[in-house]
Amino acid sequence: MTGGRPLGLVLLEMILLVLLGPLVTGTIQKMKARLQCRQGAGVLQPYRDLAKLLRKSTVQADTASGFFRSIPLLVLAATVAAGALVPVVRVGPPAVPLGDAVMLLGLLALARFLTAVGALDAGGAFGGMGASREMTIAPLVEPVLMMVVFSTAVGAGTTELGTLAAHRGTSWILGWSAADFLGFAAMLVLLPAETGRIPVDNPDTHLELTMLHEGMLLEHSGPGLGCMVLASHTRQIVTLGLVSALFFPVGPANGAGATSLLLGAGRFAATILVLATYLALVESSYAKLRLFRVPQYLGVGFVCALTALALRIL
Amino acid sequence: MSAETVQTIIDDLGALLLFTMILIVAAGQIYRAIYAVAAQSFLIAIAGGVLAMATGNVDLWVIAGVTLAVKATLLPWVLHRVVQRMNVRREVEPVIPIAGTLALAVVIVVASFQLSASLGPVRQAITGNALPVGIALTLTGVLVMATRKTALTQMVGLFASENGIFFTAMAVTQGMPLIIEIGVILDVILAALVMTIMVLRVRSTVDADIADLDRLRG
Repeated sequence: MTGGRPLGLVLLEMILLVLLGPLVTGTIQKMKARLQCRQGAGVLQPYRDLAKLLRKSTVQADTASGFFRSIPLLVLAATVAAGALVPVVRVGPPAVPLGDAVMLLGLLALARFLTAVGALDAGGAFGGMGASREMTIAPLVEPVLMMVVFSTAVGAGTTELGTLAAHRGTSWILGWSAADFLGFAAMLVLLPAETGRIPVDNPDTHLELTMLHEGMLLEHSGPGLGCMVLASHTRQIVTLGLVSALFFPVGPANGAGATSLLLGAGRFAATILVLATYLALVESSYAKLRLFRVPQYLGVGFVCALTALALRIL
Repeated sequence: MSAETVQTIIDDLGALLLFTMILIVAAGQIYRAIYAVAAQSFLIAIAGGVLAMATGNVDLWVIAGVTLAVKATLLPWVLHRVVQRMNVRREVEPVIPIAGTLALAVVIVVASFQLSASLGPVRQAITGNALPVGIALTLTGVLVMATRKTALTQMVGLFASENGIFFTAMAVTQGMPLIIEIGVILDVILAALVMTIMVLRVRSTVDADIADLDRLRG
């Protein structure tokens, strides 16, 4: 297909996503700090944390099986593979068939499953607790994400993200149909849950009974923990990239030269910055929900997504 | 503006109206429900303005203005004052859990789309989604009224339901006669006043709310 993304570009985009993932986390943390009138750590802090973790040695629980060691690599691999499916600097389908939005959500779900299995494998109480909670939240988030994807996919007639983004065109809210408003609303509700942030999860605490994701990472250490942390950074930027592809305007579609690639990259960076600001604002203005209130919160997203689908189909 | 643009805008406003309705159903605190219903009335006023611009109907401008003044400003303000005056619990007290209400709301939305599709020729005469959206808003408002214990949240449900009827009437008929619309608005104001006074009176004399009245014996 003409105007598609050659394999080299897809790989480049994937590497770019992995490299920029920690920067997004750092930016959100910095914004949160400034909103709380703190100086905050620099935006490069997550990179320093990762470098520190990679230098350390690994300590493993005696009860953990041999599979435990390979968990971080598998999680990272699944998440990075999901990153290959997100269009970054240019829209349009990739030159080689890689997979679509359903594949992306499946890979993210696989990473989530492996994380939970790893947490249970180590046998720690916190890990088990975190895993059970994550597995309680996941079935509420993933189907709704699917529905949001489908509500836009029905309009475009495909689930391939690059084509979906191309279908969105360059106009933004003015070009939206009625279903897009509700789909976007559902996405805004789900985004904190999918990226593991307040009001569903708290990414800043390590020793609190309310935590979900961090609880599952407790048994990991050294480079393994580094892989898990990098995977969660990547997961965040991949999710934001999914929203960007589904709902935000795209750069120049078929331009070939370096200028259009740069424009596309700038467009992507601006979109991610907007979504990161949204996450920072939500995190600073809401308290974490009680676990039993989370289904009610996610229910809003579910109803919005279903209504979007109803508007699209019925 | 071309007819298609108007249709698109009305459809988009319909989606936003449904979103505010979902917020009203999901609101755990009375204040949030009040703000959501105010936003909903504001959207209705915008819809009135858009239709007025499209059809050149002066009555619609008046109706949009009155909606903005009364339903988007005055009534939410009154409700707000009453909540402050009564010092009630700020949480909404549902009869069934809010998640259950949300599930019922989904059923209502899907059912109203299905029902209006089965209207056949009537549905085909009305372009866009205004009819099913209006029906869904009205029925969900009734749902809110039926599943809340306190009178104030039931009033929010009534206003939302009324908004639904208003939206349907406006979008489907391209503006009803002014006298009818004014009558409807006056009805709403009167209902709000009577209910507010009732709530405050009941509260001050017997210290009870609507849900306690089922134990009344003659």
